[in-house]
Parts: sequence; structure tokens; C-alpha cells
Amino acid sequence: MAYVATKGGEQAIDQSERFYHALKGNVTLEAVQTVLETMPYLVDRVLGEGSLYAPELAALALVQSGGDLYEAVLLLRAYRSTQPRIAYAQPITTERMTTIRRISAAFKDIPGGQILGPSLDYSHRILRTDVLEGGAVEPTPAVDLADQPAPRSYPLVADWERENRLLVQIPRANNPTNPSDIPDVTRDPITMPAPRAHRLQALARAETGGVLALGYAGMRGYGFTHPTVNELRLAYADLEMVHPISGEPFGVGRFRMSQAEIISSGGGGGVGYKLGYTATMGWNEVKLIAGATLDMEMNQAEPHPAHTEDFVLYHTESVEASGFCIHFKLPHYVTFASGMDSIRKVIQAEYPASKEGYTSPEPSESTKMVTA
Amino acid sequence: MDTLNNVVPLMAPQLITEMPLVRVQHLYQTYGRVRAVHDVSFDVYPGEVLGIVGESGSGKSTVLRLLNLQEIAKGGIFNLNVPSLQGENLLACDRYRRREVQTQHIGIVYQNPHLGLRMHYTSGGNVAERLLITGERRFKTLRDVAEDSLAVSEFPLDRMDDLPMRLSGGMQQRVQLAKAIALKPQLLLLDEPTTGLDVSVQALVLDTLKRLQQELTVTILIVSHDLGVIRTLADRVMVMRNGEVIEAGLTDQILEDPQAEYTQQLVHAKL
Amino acid sequence: MSLKELAHPASDYSYAFLDAYAKRELRRRILKGIALPGAQIPYASRELPIARGWGTGGLQATLSLISPHDTVKVIDQGADDSVNAANLRRFITRMSDAKTTTDTLQATLIQSRHRIPEEILTEKQVLILQVPDPEPLRRVQSDMAKSREMHADRDYGQMWLVLYEQLVRFGDYVQGASYPVMVHNRYIMSPSPVPRWDNPKLHQAQHLTILSAGREKRLYAVPPYTNVYPLEFDDVPFRVENQRGWVCVRTGIQNKFMNEIPQADGSSIFEVSDTGYVSKLIQRDANPATGTTYFDDEGSFYHDGYLK
Repeated sequence: MAYVATKGGEQAIDQSERFYHALKGNVTLEAVQTVLETMPYLVDRVLGEGSLYAPELAALALVQSGGDLYEAVLLLRAYRSTQPRIAYAQPITTERMTTIRRISAAFKDIPGGQILGPSLDYSHRILRTDVLEGGAVEPTPAVDLADQPAPRSYPLVADWERENRLLVQIPRANNPTNPSDIPDVTRDPITMPAPRAHRLQALARAETGGVLALGYAGMRGYGFTHPTVNELRLAYADLEMVHPISGEPFGVGRFRMSQAEIISSGGGGGVGYKLGYTATMGWNEVKLIAGATLDMEMNQAEPHPAHTEDFVLYHTESVEASGFCIHFKLPHYVTFASGMDSIRKVIQAEYPASKEGYTSPEPSESTKMVTA
Repeated sequence: MDTLNNVVPLMAPQLITEMPLVRVQHLYQTYGRVRAVHDVSFDVYPGEVLGIVGESGSGKSTVLRLLNLQEIAKGGIFNLNVPSLQGENLLACDRYRRREVQTQHIGIVYQNPHLGLRMHYTSGGNVAERLLITGERRFKTLRDVAEDSLAVSEFPLDRMDDLPMRLSGGMQQRVQLAKAIALKPQLLLLDEPTTGLDVSVQALVLDTLKRLQQELTVTILIVSHDLGVIRTLADRVMVMRNGEVIEAGLTDQILEDPQAEYTQQLVHAKL
Repeated sequence: MSLKELAHPASDYSYAFLDAYAKRELRRRILKGIALPGAQIPYASRELPIARGWGTGGLQATLSLISPHDTVKVIDQGADDSVNAANLRRFITRMSDAKTTTDTLQATLIQSRHRIPEEILTEKQVLILQVPDPEPLRRVQSDMAKSREMHADRDYGQMWLVLYEQLVRFGDYVQGASYPVMVHNRYIMSPSPVPRWDNPKLHQAQHLTILSAGREKRLYAVPPYTNVYPLEFDDVPFRVENQRGWVCVRTGIQNKFMNEIPQADGSSIFEVSDTGYVSKLIQRDANPATGTTYFDDEGSFYHDGYLK
């Protein structure tokens, strides 16, 4: 009797889990290091959605789950739940981040320059099948050094636009800047309309595929935004804290982060350009551009039904979406039985089989008692 | 043959001593930079039919929406002379109170039935919802009252369980009407109720409205750009233009002998 | 001296997995839910090592209430040995050192997906129901902000309209499980996807019921001795599932909620869904004792006049 066994439910799940692991390689430190080295962008996607900057743990989650992205994110989030909060770091300013990729589609050139940085954007997408035949991949030629090193940090394109009065004036919101006052979407229940902090946090840890699908719909015309990338950055941000006793600031480390701004004059909301924004831990350009587009769509007075804050933030939550989706595999036979009772009544009324009206199904002839 | 003895003696003219049912003062509404309604004041007496006439953009429909409490007015006072609402400015009450007043004291019929009806519930259901909101919990009563209301609106009862989206325009308006009067409100608001219907159907719906008004002695505010409709139904009429009241008075007077230049143009253009 | 050396080892867990802040918040929210019977209380649902949609809401409620002195029963569709129930039970005991049982009468905490046990629960027991969708108004309003307003304004006309339409179209109510109820004459609540059979058990109960949705991040409660009535018209009564004549093949009894098991020849056999109750009946000569049930052997509900 399948999976609602009279006994041995625990044994069944234990075996099921073992079967899963038997079909893949072992979880070893070596495997974790390989993932970390060879698939940093996948690691970044997991730690971004896991909302925990711990590349090693993200790589471990990937190896442990056999590469199942949703399982990996769940592992990381569950781990995150157990970690105590020690303190808040100092806010990061974009202009001071060590930025190694920085482009704007709005202008041919910008103060500081268009910096391509590491990117496959202009590569030819050809599979290196010779690797599978045992041919070693020639090490990629080293990057040639330029005469002048690129600057470490860059001003904001948006600042130039502000100075030139191109941006719509937004009334100053009373958003808290003291870190301990900032609403935390992982600690507070989310209610709509969401505070700005909740929205940006939700976008930062949103499921990439979901954000892409909805953002793409906006770009294709279901929304109001014709997005132009105002500025996209991949950076290493320095994490700074303030010593609780001496008050001295000190560096705690450095982490990969990325952000994008979309600019558009479309939709309502004033004369001039508006900005949409998304930032995330790790480098994930697809999520940034789609997310920034959605940020703008959600600001419309009457967004497309698929671009309301409610729709976007609820349905791009990786752990909730995937969890609920697969929960439909759980037994639902009681719910189904209850529904069947109602449907039977309706069917009986519509197509009466007997003149006596609705009767419950006849018990089977054999009513031999089955021992447990 | 002395028929003079059988004639009813003429009555001397009487002053109206009743209080108005509706009192609107200095109604004011803007949308961005557009001044939709500007300093509009008027009274409506119990049992009266007041028509508001004007062209598109005159503000007449806005006035109706404001009286239906479905929008927040930027300014003004609106009183209904009803025991439970004495002295209350209905434009200033909270969301909960607004819904209470809308349900129990006001009925509305829109030009576009999609605004007034739930298209995916049955016609009878649309009417029954009014009672459900006020707490009626007997299914039989819901059916009976819905039937009665639909009958007064001269809606064919054998189609009571049809969805409005399967009905003709005229029938949809009758469902709206039935829904609007289900709880016997003191005030009935009609926003271009026959506009867009076939001429013959218009005439039928107008007939129903006339009969209904006489039977129920409900107070009606009717908005129309059609002077023929106004002439048929309204006792008094208010002419609006660019958010302001140009002229007001008895329907016959205004239509036969308009004083304001704009009204003259309107009347002569239409008739 | 590095930060790593100063920090706790990575493998440390708090008691019952949730940290103190999480537990405190949950308990406060539960208290608020008890103070406002049937009202949905938002809470910051934590992620757990179990997937969303699989009981994290119920789990958080259980973990915030549990102590080593508790005895916990976990069921899914009424069965203790369902894989999901077994998995949750495993996690709970691993994190709390509480005892476990399949006997309803022995449990202090009962976490359940989609069923309320057949034996009457007492004041000493807490029932925690897993909820997929806490919002009963979703069928008429999908926007959560708007439905919150509707609850605040007691704007429930559309829910009643849905019932009216069902009667017009089908001649009867067609809602199967998750049949909406009115709690304390104020809030419409979803009882979670329990069958209609279980709805009456919430009314004037001796026990506290907590309903928690982890993914949707809302919880609500029905305190003991609270009025809970299904949405019904005065002249068209609510009815539980019609299982008259169904006999349990394992125990021979009737008038307890049954699972219908299709047979190869097109017929059906039936078994009582409450497996804990079944195993006690089967071992009737050896202990333990069975308790009084909500529906007696003839199918009468223990509160007279509640079911018409």
C-alpha cells in the first residue's frame, strides 16, 4: 500500500533519501571546492536567493543537493535561520565600492568610462566538446594589462542626471537610515503596500527565474516600462563595522555584490525620468535588470495585474514557490474525499441513476476485517 | 346639467413646508489640474426627480459619483435628511460608514452595467447581495425579495438565474434597477441609465422608471445629456457646464424658456 | 584571535531549533490570535529545514510551545505513520526531546494536517493545524491587501453571495473541505482543509486550536469555548459528508470519518481515517482505553442541536 504505509513510514523516507544520494557522487570537500572554483556564478545565484553571503556554504548546498537549485537554496535558508545576529554593518556607498564591471546603455560614454569587466556578453556561445574527448582546454590567454589601471570606484550616472534635473522629483520618504530601524523582511511579516526596504530586500533574494519571467513580460509590452540600463555594476563591497566599545570603524571582509538601475520616462508619475533599482549579493545580471524593471512597474499607479507588488513579491519567493509547488505531492486524500462527496451529490442531481436520489456508494461484498 | 358642482374646487398655491431630503452645499472636486465640479449646491425634495443635464465633461456624472460616496470629494457638504443620518456630512465619513450609507440609503444605476453588476453572478444573485450585506440569512427570503425587486423593474423572472453577461442591454439595466431599489433606499441615482440602448428599449426602460417612481415615491437624481429623457422624468432640472451650475429650475420652464445663453444653445441644438 | 574563534560552533541549535526571538514573537502572535478569535495575525515565518508547503507553519507553532515535558502526536490525513507526519515527528523530537505518541488521549500537543482526531480533546491539550491558505476570502478576492480590508470592515457579502449562487446552481452547498466558518460572530475563517466532518469539532471545544500557515505567514486561533458556525442559510442547513452505511474493514465500526479505497472491480472498501483510534480499537482487550468521541456510534454529534 504505497506511501501511507501502515508501518514503516520512517523507514521508507530513510531509504528514499539514501536512494537519492546513491544516484549521485559523494559529498566531499573536494567536490565543494570544485564547485566553488568552476561555478562561481551558480554559487552566486544560490547565495543571493539564500540571502546568506557564504560562498563555501552555498557550494556545499549545491553538492549536498546534487545540484537541485531549489533544494540548495532551502538548505542555505534553513541554515541562515539558525544563525544569531551579532551586529549591523555600516551602509555601503555605491561610489566607494571596488567596481570591476560598470556599464551604462543610456550614454556612449560616462564619467569614469564604460568598463566591460568580466563578461561573456560578446563571446561566441560554442560548446568546447573537445574537453569531453580528453582534450585539455587551453588556458584562456591572460588578460593584457592596460597602460593605466581602471579606477577602483566610480561616480553615479544618476548623479549627473540629478544635476541636470532630468530625474522626476520624488518627495523625500521618511525611510529609516539607522540600521536597526530598517524593516527586515526576514523578521517582519510582509504586508502590502510594502515599505521600500521590504521590497528591495525581497527583490534581492527573489528567485531569478520568476523575476526574469515577470520582468520579461514587462519589457515585451505587458507593462509600462521601456527600460534602458542606466547603470549596471559588478563589485566587491567592503564590509565595515564600528567597534561597539571604542567606536573605531574596522573592515570585516569583502563580498561580491551587484546592482542595476533602469531608467525610463514611461508610465505615470511625473515629468522626467524615473529609476528602478535592484541589488543583490553575488553577481547575477539577469536578476538585476529584470528586477529593476519590476521595481519600476510596481510603482505605477495601475500596474498590470502581474506587476502589482502583491503579485511580484509573493510569486518570486524561491523557497515558498518551490515548496508549495512540490507539496502537491503530499497525500490529499481526505480533502479529495470531501470534495468527492460534494461532486457526487451534484452528479446525482444532474444524472440521477436511481429514483431514490443520492446514496453513498455501496460497501463491497467482502467486509472481512483486515488485521493491522 | 350642472357639471360645475362636480368639479373639484381649485386649491390655493401651497408653500413647500417639507425639509429637503438631499442638501448639497459647495461641492468641489478636482482630478489633478482638472476642476471637475466647482461650488455646486442644490436641494432635492422627497419624492422629487431632479435632472442634471449637460454635455460630456460638464461634471454631472462626477456629482453623482460623489453623492454615491464612491469617491472622496475635495470639498463640500452632503446631508441626507434621514433619521439615522441627521446632521452628518456624508462626504466626511469613514470607509465603513460610507459602505453602510451606500447600502441602506442609496441606490445607483450606471450607464455601463459592468460598473454596477457582478457579471459572473446571476441576476437574482446581484439583487440578493444587497440583502446579504445587511445580514439577511434566509434563502427563501432572498429569492422572494429578489423576485419582487426584479418584477417591479419589469424584468422577466424566468431569467432570474441567468448571468447578466447573457442579457441584453435593456435587461441589464433592469437588473441594475432591481439591485438599486432592493432595500428601498431613500435616494436613487441614475447615471445616463438609457444611453446606449436601442430607442425602443429606451422608451420601455423610461416607462418602467416613471412607473417605479410613482409607485415607490423614491427621490431620484437623474443625469443625462438627453433632454428628451429629462423632459419625461424630471420635475426640476439643473444645467451644468465645466463643473458649474449654469441654470436651474422647473423642467418645463428651463426647456421652454431657457434664460442662460448656454442653456439656450443646448436646448435649441437638441430639440 | 579571530572572529571565527569567538563565535559559537556552526552546528549549534537552540532548543526546539528556533532562536529565542523567533519563539518569543510566535508566542506573542499566538496570544494575539487567541485574543481575536478567527482573525489572521501576520508573523515573520522562519525558514526551517523542511520545505515550505510541507508544514513549516504548524511546525513553528509546535516548536514555540514545546517543552521536554510534552508528549506530541503528529498526523497527516489522520494517519500517524504517513511519511510526512513521520518526517515532522522525527524533526520535532530531534529538536526538543519531547515524547511522542499515537494515542490522542496521551498527547499534550497534536500537530495535524487536514484532520481533527475522533476522540474529544480536553482543556489540557492544544491542537495545531497546518494551513496552506489562511485566507477564506481568496475565492472572491485574490489581493491580500483588499481582503484584509474586507475582514476589518466585516465586508463579507460576497462570501454569502457565493453560497447563494451554489444553491441556485446546484441546489446545495458544494464546498468540500476547508468549509468557511464564522468565529465568535466576528471573523470568517478557513478551518484549514479538514473535511466538513471535522468542522463542528471547533465549536465550543474544550481545547485550544491554533492554525498556522508558514508560507503565507499568517496564524490564527480558536480559543476554548468559542462559537464556531459554518456559513449556512437559516433555511438550508450545512451538512457533513454522507458516509452512512460505510463500515470500516479493519474495525467493523461506522460513523467515524472514513477513507474510501477503490477496488479493482470498481467497488470500494472503507477504513477509519484516524489510525491512532483504529489501533486502539483493534487492541481493545489490551490497553489503552479509547475516549469519548465527537460523533457517537450512531453518528450523533455530542453538542445537541448543532447539526441540523
